[in-house]
Amino acid sequence: MTTSVARPQITSLHVVCAVLLGAILLRLLAGDVPSAPALRTAATVFVAVCVQALPFLVLGVLLSGAIAAFASPAVLRRALPRGTGAAVPVAGAAGLVLPGCECASVPVARRLISQGVPDAAALTFMLAAPAINPVVLVATAVAFPGEPLMVLARFLGSLATACVMGWLWQWVGRAEWIADRARRGVTATDGANRWGVLAETARHDLLSAGGFLVVGALTAATLSVLVPAEWLDALAGRLLLAIVVMAALAVVLALCSEADAFVAASLSTLPLLPRLVFLVVGPAVDVKLIALQAGTFGRAFAVRFAPATFAVAVLCAVGIGSLILGVR
Amino acid sequence: MRRETQHVLLLLVGGALLRIAVDDTYLRYVRPSHRWLLVGAGVVVLGLTVVAMVSDLRGHPAGARTGRMSEPHPHGRVERYVPWLLLAPVLVIALVAPPALGADAVARAGTRNLVVQDADVFGPLAEGAPLTVAEFVQRAVRDSTGSLEGRVVTLTGFAVRDGAATGLARLTIACCAADARANRVRLLGDLGVIAPDTWLRVRGTVQSGTATAATGYVPAMTVTTVDVVAAPTDPYEY
Repeated sequence: MTTSVARPQITSLHVVCAVLLGAILLRLLAGDVPSAPALRTAATVFVAVCVQALPFLVLGVLLSGAIAAFASPAVLRRALPRGTGAAVPVAGAAGLVLPGCECASVPVARRLISQGVPDAAALTFMLAAPAINPVVLVATAVAFPGEPLMVLARFLGSLATACVMGWLWQWVGRAEWIADRARRGVTATDGANRWGVLAETARHDLLSAGGFLVVGALTAATLSVLVPAEWLDALAGRLLLAIVVMAALAVVLALCSEADAFVAASLSTLPLLPRLVFLVVGPAVDVKLIALQAGTFGRAFAVRFAPATFAVAVLCAVGIGSLILGVR
Repeated sequence: MRRETQHVLLLLVGGALLRIAVDDTYLRYVRPSHRWLLVGAGVVVLGLTVVAMVSDLRGHPAGARTGRMSEPHPHGRVERYVPWLLLAPVLVIALVAPPALGADAVARAGTRNLVVQDADVFGPLAEGAPLTVAEFVQRAVRDSTGSLEGRVVTLTGFAVRDGAATGLARLTIACCAADARANRVRLLGDLGVIAPDTWLRVRGTVQSGTATAATGYVPAMTVTTVDVVAAPTDPYEY
């Protein structure tokens, strides 16, 4: 750092201090800010999504830091099959072992890519981990006590989505869609400093991913007060419309993958198939994830990956759902 | 963004997580078991920041070795400013500390109860027993043994508008307030005027056959007594 401190110059530190002072003054002068009920509801949902997701994001950036510090590209290459085509399902199955919500898996996938794991395999892991880990599957079983097949359908639907997206990326994906910053690796050569690398990588990832998580939380909170509940009432008996609307709701509500099964279970007027679509789409693509992915891998990536994932997830859920659950 | 600013931001975020976890504030947003995740995350965020600050003070900023945040870097304009958004939840928590979801959220969720089927057969009930609103609705809708029939039960919830009348509601959450589901009960009897979001303890008996598809699975209850009570520390049911 070569900034000369003596020069009177407005830096980001001054801005932070000004914002905080302004906030304290506002609190002292205005007391409790009265507000419209809709604004209060949105504020509560905003804080809830942030507070719910931040611990999982912290877990994700710690894992990402650990991969950067301890899993050298050579180790990762040995762990995966040689061909990318075979590496994709292995990466998907590896998603079974990362318990947590979807925010954790984005920084981990980014770090896997920077450590030389094929893009397709890392992206498959990113989609599979939040959807098929044991915590999510148990939560689904608890939410649907009378429908054990729902757990199987969710597992297969999400795994299929992740693998198809991996193969699709391998087939048509271009390396330059992923921003260079996501590939920038960390060189941990001196063994003594590995813990320092872990801490610095985790801190850096948290700062950038955290900001994008806030974008997603703001979007989810706004939509939660704007989307009218009557949408759901109009769906009973219209299977196709129900599938489309439930897929869209999964994107805009941005529920945590450990909780979405309870919401899906409560929509008991709907057939099982649209509810399965909701469960398969939600952990793969939602407004919070789109913001995180745009921040991590770049906008060129997000504008292609998110719509493709949405389409693949809907198709996989409908296909596997009709096979396992039937049309009901 | 300067490294010092990054440190201030992360200290604020870690502090905010710990702040809402030390008292009951976090219960407005997440379920009770989430508290330890919040404490853990807060401690890790503060720890990472302190490690970075110590390393900066020692004169070998780790950023020179790994991160690129403090140098001119090729991020787009937008990406560079996004970490500032971490101030948003900190300020909202510090300035507003939004209350738990209440009557407004219930009104937004439509007029029907969304019932998860837990069971068909429920255990017997003691007379006057306190029930969660969720279980009361469950029993009213699903119970084939009629365990609620003629039983006086006690429910705690907040007042909501029910047409021109007053109803009782409580929200159930699975993970955080974003996935809240409302359970409503119609209150029959002379209640007077009660403002929405007033917490009530009501005693009464279910009106049989009211929790059907035609009523949106909202059971009606004949109320014998209504007490205004203080808001419970844990506003949600699980």
